Amino acid sequence: MSKILEASRAGPLAAPAHRPIGLGRLGAFVERESVFSWLMLTPPLLFLLAFLGYPFIYGVYLSFFHKEVARAAEFVGFGNFVKLYNDPIFWQAVRNTIIFTGVATVLKASGGLGMALVMNQSFRMKSFARAMLLLPFIVPTVLSTVAWQWILDPGMGLFNRLLVVSGLATTGPSWLGTPTMAMISIIMVNTWRGLPFFGISILAGLQTIPVDLHESATIDGAGTWGRFRYVTLPSLLPVILIVTTFSIVITFFDFQLVYVLTGGGPANSTHLMATYAYSLSMGAGQMGLGSAVALSMVPVLGLLLVLLTLFVRKD
Amino acid sequence: MALPTQPKATRRSFVKLAAAAAAGVAAGPFISRNAQAKPVQITFARESSYVKNFDVHFQNVLAPAYEKATGIKIEYQVQAAGGSAVPQLVSMVENKSGADLAWVQQEWLYRDALVDVSDIAEEVGKQQGGWYDEIKRLSVDKGKWKSVPNGNIGQLMNYRKDWFDEAGVKSFPDTWDEFLEAGIKLKAKGHPFGMSMGHGFADNYSWLYPLLWSYGVTVMDKDGKKVALDSSETAKAVEYVKKLYKQACIEDCIGWLDPANNKAFLTSQISCTNNAYSIMVSAKRDLPDMGKVIEHGLNPKGPTGQRYHALVPVTHGVFAYSKDPQSAKDFLRWLMDPKQYRPWIASGDMYFAPYLHAFDKVPEWDIEPRVKPFQKVLETGKLTSWPAPANRQHGEVINRWIVIDMFTKAITGTPTKTAIAEAVSQIKAIYG
Repeated sequence: MSKILEASRAGPLAAPAHRPIGLGRLGAFVERESVFSWLMLTPPLLFLLAFLGYPFIYGVYLSFFHKEVARAAEFVGFGNFVKLYNDPIFWQAVRNTIIFTGVATVLKASGGLGMALVMNQSFRMKSFARAMLLLPFIVPTVLSTVAWQWILDPGMGLFNRLLVVSGLATTGPSWLGTPTMAMISIIMVNTWRGLPFFGISILAGLQTIPVDLHESATIDGAGTWGRFRYVTLPSLLPVILIVTTFSIVITFFDFQLVYVLTGGGPANSTHLMATYAYSLSMGAGQMGLGSAVALSMVPVLGLLLVLLTLFVRKD
Repeated sequence: MALPTQPKATRRSFVKLAAAAAAGVAAGPFISRNAQAKPVQITFARESSYVKNFDVHFQNVLAPAYEKATGIKIEYQVQAAGGSAVPQLVSMVENKSGADLAWVQQEWLYRDALVDVSDIAEEVGKQQGGWYDEIKRLSVDKGKWKSVPNGNIGQLMNYRKDWFDEAGVKSFPDTWDEFLEAGIKLKAKGHPFGMSMGHGFADNYSWLYPLLWSYGVTVMDKDGKKVALDSSETAKAVEYVKKLYKQACIEDCIGWLDPANNKAFLTSQISCTNNAYSIMVSAKRDLPDMGKVIEHGLNPKGPTGQRYHALVPVTHGVFAYSKDPQSAKDFLRWLMDPKQYRPWIASGDMYFAPYLHAFDKVPEWDIEPRVKPFQKVLETGKLTSWPAPANRQHGEVINRWIVIDMFTKAITGTPTKTAIAEAVSQIKAIYG
């Protein structure tokens, strides 16, 4: 014990007597932690500035201008935002985005938790099953969405064929042909795609829960539900909250899925803010107005990021 | 009219022969003009054609011929079909880099970025029987040609003749009311119509706008100053479409993007839709039995007794940002010379119908009797802005699907009056 205490009170490790051959003063300078860390940080920072920072700042700039394709920008202050405030399609897109994000995130979080709990059990071909469950997340969105177009086809699609063949229906529903079904369909596809993200992240969290906590709870008389309610869930909560926040951000910005499946139709019933921003900018050529729609998404996401930061600090 | 005489040979051999001749003869002036110039490259962006031979002819015959004649390499940049070219063109124009000339889809968006090509367009018009008037309203801006029209992608009713016959509909309906009656009969037989009404690119407005026009309704007045949609005739047209959808159509079609009706037709889910003749091309290639029973019908007449079609124009423009716009213009002039242009158009089986009267009676229209009706589209065809100018505001109405959604809102439960009022209010906001 005393030896351990002595070791713990020992001073900092002595510097090596000899520096490696070839490292002169420059080497010593680079080896300084403050310099080395900046050297490592600079490339990704430059990358982020070029490919995220610049477009973002340009987008903010554009949102305050009346800017049409191939024409000079004209400063309009908050004019674009006023226009959006009076635009019913914009508000419909906002409503759609909130419903889409909210429902899809709840489904992904609950489904992902279930998936993780199952994957945490021991069964045959567990590794294979885990790899397969990752597929929706790995396959490029456009590719999988095109496959979904076929799956949701009213006559030839897998879903309706199954419904008809199994005798559950004479004809299946029109998955993308009515406003309600179209919204349900895009939420379903988004959930399918995002589920593995939750599943794998929560599974990682599950595996960090010490076994003795479960053992203690069992000794104290907790059943399966009790162990889940008072041990598993509280231990997973930080992971679930962080993954949920990330997922909200990703879902809020979803574009490809809707663009490929419905284009925001029918009658704007699946138009999200991202697809509306795109159709205004790239379709109608109203770059300023489109940027204003995109920028309108930022406050919500900013709030979420603040909440995330506060939570992480508290933790 | 100055089209070359037709040789007594097959169409394909004519195409090859004429292209070879083009290299030697037609490029003469271009050779002399560019003989001293350093070889450069011109990038030409175009949406890929559904008739593959059209692109193949350009790449294998025209581009090498021009390079041989002038030393200038032509980079043919094929863009994905179906409206996705517009965002690419927007990016090019905003970044001032990319193609030197292009099929400027929805050219009202980039007119300010295009050079004046009046000299080419006027020369081509004079040489080849004159331009159709309607296309001038798109390509001519403030008295100057900003693009040279290349052709129209005709949109007509594609229908299954065998199923129409089975249902007792012996000829394609002449009026919208007859069209509805036919649709009811066909739906009863398990072969509904599939009329696109989603957020697509052309298959939606290619029948909904002509339908409105045939009810005596236009979106804007002639000057583009006043919204003309707010009328009792619009309500009648909307009510008609509601009936057509409920009684004759497949449920899915209000959410369809452009490829959906092709897919539904080719998988025998629908008996009629409005489309270019790409459905027939695919069927002849992959489903020969179906390929034999597809026919094309004109859009029906409305209560005014008039029949209309929507133009889907292909026009070529030269970007001002190009390092060498003059070289791009020289190439465009060469391309539009009948010696190159006619075989090129022929190679595409008239999928792109020239807006030039010299082509009104050419034998290329007879290659496939089912293609011939597409010639009629030019006679009764109007731009989607008609009768108003084809400007940015009109483009915004199209690209935000305001009129299309007026119909779908009414179909999905919004009262007709409200759906029209909402559309009118949005159009007013767009036009300012």
